[in-house]
Amino acid sequence: MPRLLLLLHTRLALRTTAIILLIVTLLGVVFLSLAVYLRAESVQQEQQSRIQELLTTVERTAQVGCFLGDRHLAQEVTDGLLSNNIVNAVSIESADGTTLASGRAGQIAPGVTRVTRDVASPFEPQTPVCRITIEPNQAYIDTLVAQASNFIGGALLLQLIGIGFCVVLVVVKFVTRPITGLSHRLSELEAETGQQLQAPKGNRDDEIGQLVISVNAMIDNLVQSLSEERRLRLEREVEERRYRAIFDNVEAGIFELDGAGLIRSANPAFRRLFDISGEMDLESHPVAFASLVSEGEGMAGPFLIDDDAGGHERQWEVALENGDQQRWVSLILSPLETGRLQGVAHDVTERKRAADAAERMAMTDPLTGLGNRRGFDHRLAVMARHHRLYPERCHALITLDFDHFKRINDTYGHQVGDLVLSHVGAILADLMRQRDYVARLGGDEFVVLLEGCDQRADVEIVLARFLDRLRVPLKVEDNIDIAIGVSIGVAMLGLDTDDVSQAVQFSDMAMYASKRAGRNTWRFYEALSTI
Amino acid sequence: MNRVRRLLLASTLTVTTLITSSASADIAIVVNAGSGIDQLTRSDAVNIFMGRYRKLPTGNVALPVDSSSLKARFYRALVNKDLAEINSYWARLVFSGEASPPQQIASSDDVHQLVIQNMNALSYVDGANVPDDMHVVLMLGE
Repeated sequence: MPRLLLLLHTRLALRTTAIILLIVTLLGVVFLSLAVYLRAESVQQEQQSRIQELLTTVERTAQVGCFLGDRHLAQEVTDGLLSNNIVNAVSIESADGTTLASGRAGQIAPGVTRVTRDVASPFEPQTPVCRITIEPNQAYIDTLVAQASNFIGGALLLQLIGIGFCVVLVVVKFVTRPITGLSHRLSELEAETGQQLQAPKGNRDDEIGQLVISVNAMIDNLVQSLSEERRLRLEREVEERRYRAIFDNVEAGIFELDGAGLIRSANPAFRRLFDISGEMDLESHPVAFASLVSEGEGMAGPFLIDDDAGGHERQWEVALENGDQQRWVSLILSPLETGRLQGVAHDVTERKRAADAAERMAMTDPLTGLGNRRGFDHRLAVMARHHRLYPERCHALITLDFDHFKRINDTYGHQVGDLVLSHVGAILADLMRQRDYVARLGGDEFVVLLEGCDQRADVEIVLARFLDRLRVPLKVEDNIDIAIGVSIGVAMLGLDTDDVSQAVQFSDMAMYASKRAGRNTWRFYEALSTI
Repeated sequence: MNRVRRLLLASTLTVTTLITSSASADIAIVVNAGSGIDQLTRSDAVNIFMGRYRKLPTGNVALPVDSSSLKARFYRALVNKDLAEINSYWARLVFSGEASPPQQIASSDDVHQLVIQNMNALSYVDGANVPDDMHVVLMLGE
């Protein structure tokens, strides 16, 4: 049984046949029942009419027998009737109620419809003389019906077998075999070479032919997309090689960071820049980017990917301690995918150095090597910011102006004047601490910023030392000694005022005060006296 | 009384015969005048001539006699059958022996003799010439 089920499951022809046979059987049963029913009816009717015919055959004799009341003749009629299979019992009763003759062939069968015929006198048709009653042989009739049914059933069964056989043949010939053939050919087909499936002969224009056409179309599509795929892969390989060449040979460092700020890959330029050995496998031993960087804006933080940064590109510069010399590197980070950043690093040390030098140059007085007005303004701005942040700290702003410098210029020439200016500048620079600032604003005007100087007394010590050093005349040539006098004004930022430009103004006023006081001395700004 | 009735009947018959003789002759079933039978119904006649009844209404054994010259006409008139049918009817009954056909007499004179001699005899004559010494019990129109 499981084997049969398996066969039904795997054989289209068998399944089709089984289903068709089932349907034909069901229909056959219905038709057979109907046919048997109708046949039984007609057999019954046939037998009825046969009995009537029998009666008609014996009627004349019965008429005579009854007319004469002839029991022998009546018995003869009865026996004649009983000799038919179809008749089970016969009785002839004369009109006055006496039974002339009767007979029975088989068992008494109850419930059988009897057939009667009134027999008239042979000479006076309107005068009845007797009545013949026949009991049909129902068993025999039933046998006839059964025979008829068997015949119909047998015929139907034969037809069923014939149909089943034909269906199997047709399905095998027209469906199963072409499909099996197709399947074999399909499995042996080398589709990638563009080989096409051939439809079986005779199936070119039907559904199987269409199936073949569809399969061929699918093969075409597959071959096309395969070659497209191959082309794309080649293109990608070329791209990859191109990128790899750039990656390996470019001067800029290219690297990738993951979400934790670890370097996942880096090209040779990057390795050179950050002093990572070429053999080091970054995939298995990732290096934290922050550990490579010694100085710069926003250190470790920015290397962690924060989602707020979104798709924005960020750029900043960091310092690297590479042995004893510091190098500057510009970094551009752009998100590659989720949790990945791609970075490009440029060595900007030279540029940075050049920029620094240029800036320094712009803020330096070429004659003395001190700061110029630009540098002073810059420093003053820094101080103003600083003072806003820390108002409790005081600073001294000192303005110096040479006494009768014009006379030196006029007497000894500009070269000597310049020498004097350099000399004074050197003394000032020498006296001041590292964090203090000295600038020549132009001509013979100098300013000094003393940072973190809370006491006027401290300023006085410095100034006294300065004037002390200045008292030694400058020997220009062997025979020329030049005495230099300087008038000095001091304003205290934090004590006199909190505003830097006002402090500049105040120190200027104090300087003029010291000129009025007889030159080559110093004066602190005194609010009351000036107002 | 009886005589008067007979006269009446005879005269009636005579009249009837006179009227019908020109168109077609009737057949009269006749018996011995002394038989005591006045009339027979057609059914009685059929039953006696076709062998069903063996006795006359009087109780005596009936003796039907076929007159050969009139036989065909008689049975045509009585049961509307030809002689072949009548013969076949009797032939059927030969073996059973239950009934026997009427006695066959060829000459009408012999019939006449038999009827007037035998009280139980029963036969038929042409309705146009019924002898006086016979009693007509039924007239069959043709």
